[in-house]
Amino acid sequence: MSPAVRYALYLSAAFSLGAISLSAASKAKLERDLDQIGRVASVMIDGDICQHIVTPRAMEYIFRKDPRDPYADGDNYDVDDESFIRIKKTLIRLSQLADYPVDVNLWMPLNANPPRIHIVIRNRYEMSQFWVWGNLTQNMFPEMRSVLDTGKRLTVEHKPGFVSVLAPVRNSLDDIVGLVEVVSRTEPDARENVK
Amino acid sequence: MWSLRASAQSAALALLFGSQCLALELRALPEFFRPDPFGGIVESDREGAAWLDSVKITAARGGYASFQVSVTTAGDSECQVSIEFPLTTEIYREWFHFNTPDKKYYPDALIPVHSPYRFQIPDSDNHVPGQTAQGFWIDLWIPRTTEPKIYRGEVRLASGSQQKTVPIELTVLPAVVPEDDAVTLDNNSYGTSWLFDQYPRTLGQEAKNSDDELFRLIHAYHRIFYEHRGTFHQLGYGHAGKVGPEFAPVLSGVGRHKHIVNWDQFDRHYGPLFDGSAFRGSRRGARPIPYVYLPINPEWPASFVNWGEPGYEAEFVNVVSEMEHHFRIKNWTSTRFEVFFNQKKRYKGFPWDGDEVRFERDNRYFIEYHRMLEKAVPENTPVHFVMRADTSWTMAKQFDELKGIVTFWVAGEGELSWYPAAAKQLKQRGDTVWTYGGTPPVQRVTTAMTLNPLRSWIDGVDGFVRWLTVSPGPDPWFKFGGGAETLVYPGERFGVAGPLASIRLKIQRDCLQDLALLERAARLGSRERIKQEVVGQFNGTKLSDWQNTHAVLPTKPVLDWNNADFEDALKPFEARFSHLQPAAWLRVREIALQESRRPQ
Repeated sequence: MSPAVRYALYLSAAFSLGAISLSAASKAKLERDLDQIGRVASVMIDGDICQHIVTPRAMEYIFRKDPRDPYADGDNYDVDDESFIRIKKTLIRLSQLADYPVDVNLWMPLNANPPRIHIVIRNRYEMSQFWVWGNLTQNMFPEMRSVLDTGKRLTVEHKPGFVSVLAPVRNSLDDIVGLVEVVSRTEPDARENVK
Repeated sequence: MWSLRASAQSAALALLFGSQCLALELRALPEFFRPDPFGGIVESDREGAAWLDSVKITAARGGYASFQVSVTTAGDSECQVSIEFPLTTEIYREWFHFNTPDKKYYPDALIPVHSPYRFQIPDSDNHVPGQTAQGFWIDLWIPRTTEPKIYRGEVRLASGSQQKTVPIELTVLPAVVPEDDAVTLDNNSYGTSWLFDQYPRTLGQEAKNSDDELFRLIHAYHRIFYEHRGTFHQLGYGHAGKVGPEFAPVLSGVGRHKHIVNWDQFDRHYGPLFDGSAFRGSRRGARPIPYVYLPINPEWPASFVNWGEPGYEAEFVNVVSEMEHHFRIKNWTSTRFEVFFNQKKRYKGFPWDGDEVRFERDNRYFIEYHRMLEKAVPENTPVHFVMRADTSWTMAKQFDELKGIVTFWVAGEGELSWYPAAAKQLKQRGDTVWTYGGTPPVQRVTTAMTLNPLRSWIDGVDGFVRWLTVSPGPDPWFKFGGGAETLVYPGERFGVAGPLASIRLKIQRDCLQDLALLERAARLGSRERIKQEVVGQFNGTKLSDWQNTHAVLPTKPVLDWNNADFEDALKPFEARFSHLQPAAWLRVREIALQESRRPQ
């Protein structure tokens, strides 16, 4: 899909969503809004670029266990700036479809046994129902496994007040290579995650 | 200066540090020897310890003199301690923390009490099984205008019909502790959410709505560190760029239309800090804070969605220009406003490391922000914007590549030791150089608190940052984790709506007083001799022992080595400072006071 077509779709989606605003957040509204953003995200996010974000060298280190150095994975974590920036900009634009705090996070599975997954891009409010602060990779979540396997969006409400919609990300081969977590909460906390 | 002579009786007792069955005892200790709750001295401070039956201190004016007393009883007792002294005194009850790493008790949090103070042993609040002793920290404040002479008084203890006293003799010298410190001791923190965790009553729902209590508390933290000769930093944004509401003005618009629309919260937070009024009534006087983090990060004030486009620069320049204007109009010209990037790519917010750059190509982002900063800030502004970088892996490369871009360096203390000439070279070109590290936990010998400040002074760097100093852990009172991330405690438990100081913070303050005296003496021309004497008395070393040599490790490509290699390479150097005696700093203080007696 060409960038022009993607942008046209984005505009169309933005128009159809109208002003997603949240003065008094209700869970039902969050679910509806975030699902729509997730649907647009699946169209807009270029999975091929996502696959180029984490550098091959960083991937080598990501599972390397060095008993002398527990921080070796993080210290060697690196990204391809251009790919990261292109996708991050798209994620930010998607979050702006709502005029209340929404984050659109990119998650990608890792080739590991047992299966693992990692968050690749986070955004301003640092909201997530899945990410544990500081963890470079995490065990695969059943909800994410389901989205990666079926390609169907899924709404998750585990943490009180939080709503996440998980939506698949595809590459040009139509393979599902990742997913986005479109997340918000009914009562945003202005001070959390400022650290 | 401390008289470490104990009476014959006390000297004999000094040999017995375990729990003892004494009827009623009141005994004194120099500040570096902490009492335990069983009539002894904590294990890490025992070397050279001696109980004292009188207190004899020599001190300069414009500072504090400190000591401790321990009250020991044979069984359950009601006691009253009081102090009679012609100068201002402050008494603190020492809280005995159960320290989970070694399952021992250590005094650290200091609860202010008023003389006379009634208490019980065992303390039903502290819940120490088998407690037979209670410790008190005593500060004597010596104003700059105090007449130099000998002042006498006493600490009194009463329990039933028994009474004990410890005489105090304070010799006040004509010398005055300089107001300015030899080393800026910085206490770091992140955001404000920890305040809501630590002060649930003070910052309840009502307070959350008005913010008055929040700002009062923030200022209280600045005050406690300032009163202890330190500074306080609060980073106001997260790793993905979220800015706390009290750390930044409110923005509106996008692109060329993005501007500041509201300064209320920012000014309430920072106004009293930048004009010094937050410190009015303090013993050090009302002075503006010397440094502050700005909220600038890759997501603020410009949105990263426009990175690399004209809109990003427009948003950045618009807002930073308005900040400069606001600061100038307010006459906030004494504080250095830091453009500092804390994010790391491992936290997935941005594609480059702002903090501790490991991948050298990330330096180009600093250059780009500096370019925009120069565009935003007029050349002749009296407002001090500085670009700060915290550096470790690639510091030599950064010092070179970012010359004239970054002018405020906060360098890993260990790594910087590999470049012994670097601090001097950086300062010669006008840069400010600090180092950073952690805080010794309570189980370490008290003198460890003096090592980083002393090392900074010996190395000639301008300051030292303790990276986190306000996080005592979920239960500091009964399940303490050692306190390596705190030097203060929330006072709510004791009815104090603000922070409590710790023994370690006061030891650090007293050390900084002495360093200020030493620095003044050193400026008169005998810097090498004084430093040599200081390190000799501190730990029996030579000045050359404090200087590391160039290591092989940093000459290798940075991506070929890791933390473990780094620690291994530093071990021989760090071993020179691994054994410290509790009395080490008392010997250094003697030099400081001797030097202050010389004609100036």
